[in-house]
Amino acid sequence: MSVVRAFQLPPSTESLGIELVSEPLGPPGSSPFQAATTATATPIVWPAFGRDGASGLLDALRSAKASLDRLPAQGIADKVGEVGERFGDPADAIRLEAEGRVALESGLSAASAGLVVDRVAREWSRARLASLLQADFPDPSVLDGFVRADNGDSIHAVGGSLSFHIGSGNVPGVGATSIVRSLLVKCPVLLKPGREDIALSCLFARALAEAYPDLGRAVAVVYWPRGRGGELETLALERAERVVVYGGNALVRDIRGRTRVGAAFVAYPHRLSVGLVGRELLEEETRARKVASDAAEAASAYDGRGCVSPKVIWVETGGRVEPREWASLLAAEMDRIESEAPAAPLDVASAATLQQLRGSSELAAAAGGENAVFSGSSSRWAVLFEPSPDRAIELTCPGRTVVVRPIDRLERVPDVIARVAEAIQSVALAAGEGRRAELASRLVDVGATRVTSFPRLAWPPAWWRHDGTAPLQALVRWTTLEP
Amino acid sequence: MEAGSSRSAFARSVIDNAVPTVSTFPWLPLLDGLSEQPLSRRREVLRRIVQQVMESERTGGTLDDAAFLALALEVFRYQAHANTAYGTWVQRRGVDPRRAEALSDILPVPARAFKDLRMLADGSPVEATFRTSGTTGGAERRGIHFVRDLDLYRMSILTTASNTLLSEPGYNRNSIRVLSLTPGPGVAPDSSLVHMFHIWIDAWDDRGGGFFGGTSWEPKTGELRAAIGRAVGEGLPVLLVGTAFSFVRWLDALPSGHPELPPGSIVVETGGFKGRSRVVPRGELYRALSATTGVSVARIVNEYGMTELLSQFYEPVLSGEAPEDPDRRWHVGPSWVRTRILDPETLDAVDPGEPGLLCHVDLANLDSAVAVLTEDVGFQPHELAAARPTSRAFRLLGRGQGAEPRGCSLVMEELLGVAGPAADR
Repeated sequence: MSVVRAFQLPPSTESLGIELVSEPLGPPGSSPFQAATTATATPIVWPAFGRDGASGLLDALRSAKASLDRLPAQGIADKVGEVGERFGDPADAIRLEAEGRVALESGLSAASAGLVVDRVAREWSRARLASLLQADFPDPSVLDGFVRADNGDSIHAVGGSLSFHIGSGNVPGVGATSIVRSLLVKCPVLLKPGREDIALSCLFARALAEAYPDLGRAVAVVYWPRGRGGELETLALERAERVVVYGGNALVRDIRGRTRVGAAFVAYPHRLSVGLVGRELLEEETRARKVASDAAEAASAYDGRGCVSPKVIWVETGGRVEPREWASLLAAEMDRIESEAPAAPLDVASAATLQQLRGSSELAAAAGGENAVFSGSSSRWAVLFEPSPDRAIELTCPGRTVVVRPIDRLERVPDVIARVAEAIQSVALAAGEGRRAELASRLVDVGATRVTSFPRLAWPPAWWRHDGTAPLQALVRWTTLEP
Repeated sequence: MEAGSSRSAFARSVIDNAVPTVSTFPWLPLLDGLSEQPLSRRREVLRRIVQQVMESERTGGTLDDAAFLALALEVFRYQAHANTAYGTWVQRRGVDPRRAEALSDILPVPARAFKDLRMLADGSPVEATFRTSGTTGGAERRGIHFVRDLDLYRMSILTTASNTLLSEPGYNRNSIRVLSLTPGPGVAPDSSLVHMFHIWIDAWDDRGGGFFGGTSWEPKTGELRAAIGRAVGEGLPVLLVGTAFSFVRWLDALPSGHPELPPGSIVVETGGFKGRSRVVPRGELYRALSATTGVSVARIVNEYGMTELLSQFYEPVLSGEAPEDPDRRWHVGPSWVRTRILDPETLDAVDPGEPGLLCHVDLANLDSAVAVLTEDVGFQPHELAAARPTSRAFRLLGRGQGAEPRGCSLVMEELLGVAGPAADR
């Protein structure tokens, strides 16, 4: 029987874990209770650390800092990028292994898993990482030592000697990207990946260690279920100079409270994305259908789990294709994608929410409302047409579910989302060129941090300002040498 | 298929169970041809029958599965006819109420629909409205249960609660002090939870108890302490009731040396943290409550209810049926409720022992929605399936809003700020 190894440790530290802990890996999204009752569950194993072992692991990571410092940042980007490119190469064995493991461990269908690996790996290439470095540090050599600034000071961006990154989401690729960012600023990293992000995190660390042992020594990946981090989590929070958390508010609050005051704390809490479609794109059906197709791809990517999938789309009235009809076009595209790359079963909470949304929408329609529910044979996607444009976004839609709302003028959308703007990740804006700039600045006013298009929405580039922050700059402190 | 298995389980329960059942009651023939009668007559007959079922349960009767099914189907037919929106939906889903013959034929109303619609017979009068808890910002919609018949609600509340909480021999129902950590109906007029406590106080309390929660649901520790002191002085047992968060806040605020509750006292905890206090595991909360009040953990009872349902469920720990260990307890409702456990994706009934969504079929919801689909997850342990008539008992695994959906794009409600009082009422 196969076993999921949920860790990847630097070579010298593998014996430090005191025991391997195992838990069944049930069907994707299942609770431990379900997993325990499922005969076909795959055991998932990770090492538990005592205080000494944890201390040894963190010491080993910290000592790898010297080898990172010996390389120029640009050189690290090249090496990491070279490893990243293997994941983008369909002929590479590790790419195949990644697709297989992502499908098994995250529950995404093979086709969805293949797409995810392909698209995230694109952002790990040498060229993309060079662009990322450049975007955050116009002169990347500030990471290598003091660089004279225009004002006469010399500045040096220092990444620190130990960082602790905690992923809790179920989006594959987040962990590996987090490793990459830490290495680019020359900081050794302990990563606790999210439950469904184990595969890419471990494989990336392994590939790195195989190709460049000096880099591999600076990366440890250890999974544990939330609340069971034991000594390793405690000690990592005591010692890390940078703590990065991806997850829900409760987790962020918990980790923030346990992070020592002097450490830099970077949080990427829950977000969601939305879309806007202007009437000028709805004048001919072919174009309307193209927008719907792009929106459906974004909504279906990562099975809609990612914060970069659109959950609510406002569609302007007055075009030849009216919003409700556009919703049906969107549904047709969702159905097509479902047949090409089926969605994974939903976890219980998401499935429960979807039942509530569908049922209450149908009831509202039965009561004479203009609500409509579009869904196909699969109960894993739905397009819900809601006639009330101004109603607060109350709860995001689970999985591949999108709410479409009509609106008389797109210019009103910023006001509608203003009160939840903090929660908005990205806005896909499908509108004529003449309107985009004006609409984008209105969106800026309510706090949007990324305005993009539907085809790009789900796949932000390596250098994106993640939740409005420069991702590498967030990981460094600056040291100034004054004359 | 459901009806068949129910009947055989019913047959077993009749053989094994000495408790008289209601199926011998004279009202069953009243259901014959009832659906041909005018709506007002149908409602009146069903109302009288449900009342009779409740009265019977007070004196030890229970509604068996076959009678329950017959009655639930008749209520379903009535609602599909009397509530146009519901009837239209049922029809669009391809269900013919006249041909319904199993509980699975009753299309459950998602709890969320109470946010959008008046779940009530067309043109029906309304005696009270209760709202689900919301965020303090109040921006999102809250579910509303329009209650047509407060008498029926009261009977439902009192029958189940007194059978569960006050059934020990020697209990004098008029010699108990009900102390609630929640505010009273004046402060929280639309809380069904507060309404329930108010009914308890009205029915049972000897006029020495009352509400000890402030406008933001904070426990009035000093006043409560004085009330407990008086109960101790008079030797009256106390029924101390509140939400989980109100107990946490109360315990956190207590100085040491707080008086213990008098012998025979009971604590009723109704769940719900939702940002109002730190979250404490239930076992820990009960141990702390027990240490402070002197009430044993076996006398701390969880009540599970929701605004959308006019019936409640309790852990039968006082009767010794459910174990003391909070993690192994289970809930049971009155015999006029059956709980179906459904696959979250297909809404088909799951096998005993499998987890699923709780769908409550509640005859007390005569005027709103007889079947309500929740987001709560539970399962029917095998040992309960054998020991209890079908679909009565379940173990709660998590309440909808407590379960954390996966994915970084979820949990909008969390983002919108502090939520209201109990889990969803």
